[in-house]
Amino acid sequence: MASVAQDPASREPGGPGGSAHSRRALPGWREIGGRVIALREGSIIVITIVTAIYFSANTSTFFTGENFKTLLPYFAPFAILAAGEVFVMILGEIDLSIAGMYLFAPIIFDKLNTSVGLPLVPAVIVALLVCMVVGAINGVFVSIVGLSSFVVTLGMLFTFEGLSLIISKGTPVATPGGQPPLGTFGKVFGGGTYSELIWAVAIVVILQVVLTFTRWGLYTVAIGSNKLGAAEAGVRVNLVMIRNFTLCALTGGLVGIFEAVRSATVQPNPAGPNEILFLAIAAAVIGGTLLTGGSGTVVGALIGALFLGILKDGLILQGVQANYLLFYTGLAVIVAMTANVFVGRVRRGQTRGG
Amino acid sequence: MAAEPARSREPDRQPATPEEDVPPVSAPDDVLRVEHIAKRFGPVTALRDVNVHLRKGEVLGLLGDNGAGKSTLIKIISGFQKQDSGQMFLHGQPYVPKSVDDARAKGVDTVYQDLALIDELSVYHNLFLRRERLLRPLPVLNNREMKREARRALDEIGINIPRIDVSVARLSGGQRQAIAVARSVNSASDILLLDEPLAAMGAKEGAQILDLVARLKEEGRVSIIMILHNYEQVFLACDRVSMIQDGAIVLDKPTSETSVQELTEIVVNEYRRAREEQQASAAAAEESAKAAAAGESPSDGASPQP
Repeated sequence: MASVAQDPASREPGGPGGSAHSRRALPGWREIGGRVIALREGSIIVITIVTAIYFSANTSTFFTGENFKTLLPYFAPFAILAAGEVFVMILGEIDLSIAGMYLFAPIIFDKLNTSVGLPLVPAVIVALLVCMVVGAINGVFVSIVGLSSFVVTLGMLFTFEGLSLIISKGTPVATPGGQPPLGTFGKVFGGGTYSELIWAVAIVVILQVVLTFTRWGLYTVAIGSNKLGAAEAGVRVNLVMIRNFTLCALTGGLVGIFEAVRSATVQPNPAGPNEILFLAIAAAVIGGTLLTGGSGTVVGALIGALFLGILKDGLILQGVQANYLLFYTGLAVIVAMTANVFVGRVRRGQTRGG
Repeated sequence: MAAEPARSREPDRQPATPEEDVPPVSAPDDVLRVEHIAKRFGPVTALRDVNVHLRKGEVLGLLGDNGAGKSTLIKIISGFQKQDSGQMFLHGQPYVPKSVDDARAKGVDTVYQDLALIDELSVYHNLFLRRERLLRPLPVLNNREMKREARRALDEIGINIPRIDVSVARLSGGQRQAIAVARSVNSASDILLLDEPLAAMGAKEGAQILDLVARLKEEGRVSIIMILHNYEQVFLACDRVSMIQDGAIVLDKPTSETSVQELTEIVVNEYRRAREEQQASAAAAEESAKAAAAGESPSDGASPQP
């Protein structure tokens, strides 16, 4: 896999420059290749580039600006969700309730706006605060009560998808602020073409900085790697866990509102959010975050989401029948993860040797 | 209730340990005093009545069999767990650590037996865990400064770690232990608690740690309580030795006044006594079971069978 990615790159400078030139240029490219692979996100970067090259070569329409716009909604929301999920997964936990938040936030937002009469922005803020409270409750149940996060968040998932059905009475909701023509609110909160991309990049950058360069991030990794050890060292484990679940729920609610504004309606049907949930978790895992905790990257989650987006978009462009899409996605996830492990082994071998 | 059997056993131990269960004489230069500490975990009594004191600049070896309560005592002093009863004094003042952080702020730092190192974090992040340097006023880690200080601290201590930016998962058991010790030494604490600092170590690495302890003793700044298993190491490294048995201190002597033989005898005597007691109670149980069977009410007779 690694050599496939490196070949086209290394040939490029070597081609016209003659043998002496290429010999000098080659180690440089090799070094860059080595550095990329040495990153935790390295394997998925390589795999995503290979996938993009494959679709560019096989379809004339993939590598176009127009298609980039089509691609955006296929990955930006997943990147945000996966970014939040990474913070929980590094702890060695999982949050399934984000799909509940995804559905619940826009519905409560609509109620606050239309029934309570709150203006748009305060209504969004209150809706997100509600999500954060739910996240904090998840965190309390997992850290202080000691329940399994899978069970707690599964319960929350059903509860809040159920609440969404009850509140909306099962009928689709027209998202406030999401109706054409879009105002500033609609354009900022998911309706604008690049709105979600900008949010996604900003959130990913901020959360990656938090993860790598702050105590919060350090403690998150510490707890996921050695919970007892972290506690003995004086890390306030419960606090960090509650905080991370709160963050994760917040991203769920935020993306729910973005998507509701973008599509102008909220379909109170749990099937959609549930699929999005699993794609977000897949993006995080493909990006190099361990389900067992202790290690993870937000940027990797973004690239994992990009990989899934490119895959879906590319398959559609190739003319794959809609019914086959999920099937191919499933196979591709398994192939990508296998390749990930393979490239990861190369990576560890390299860094160990060096 | 917990104190009752202790007193009844006292005569058995008298010859080996005349000081048993006597509160230690508090010296004016005691930096830490632990008085009548008891701790239960549900039905298990980990500590019955423990008295320990530590003088300034002293290295105290804490001995005792597995499950005797050494680690529990360390965890109470370090603020990780709370005693059920008893008091502690730090520099003569009542000492009630609310948390590990609080204890550390008061100058009591601990290296745990289960190695509170974080595998996935780098050497220098481990060294600075909960004491991170920040790029003030930003809440961002100052990794460069931490690396520099970590390198200096490790060099000063004389521990050879080739690379400090790798995760500690890559290091050997001895190196990991060395880092755990260095973490505490590196802090501003004046009381160090080392829970089996020589476990999982090669002979050379163990010697390194003992040298480090000796150097700290020379400096005289810190006082150390060290849990050890190996008696010879106790005589190499410690000024005084306290032995815990069955949740209480059964010996407290300067190492110059005791011997490996004496320590061994205490342990062996305790083992024999415990075995006899066990046999006696087993016999008693059998007796009562027989009596019950003889008395044979049908419901009673059925229960001892399985």
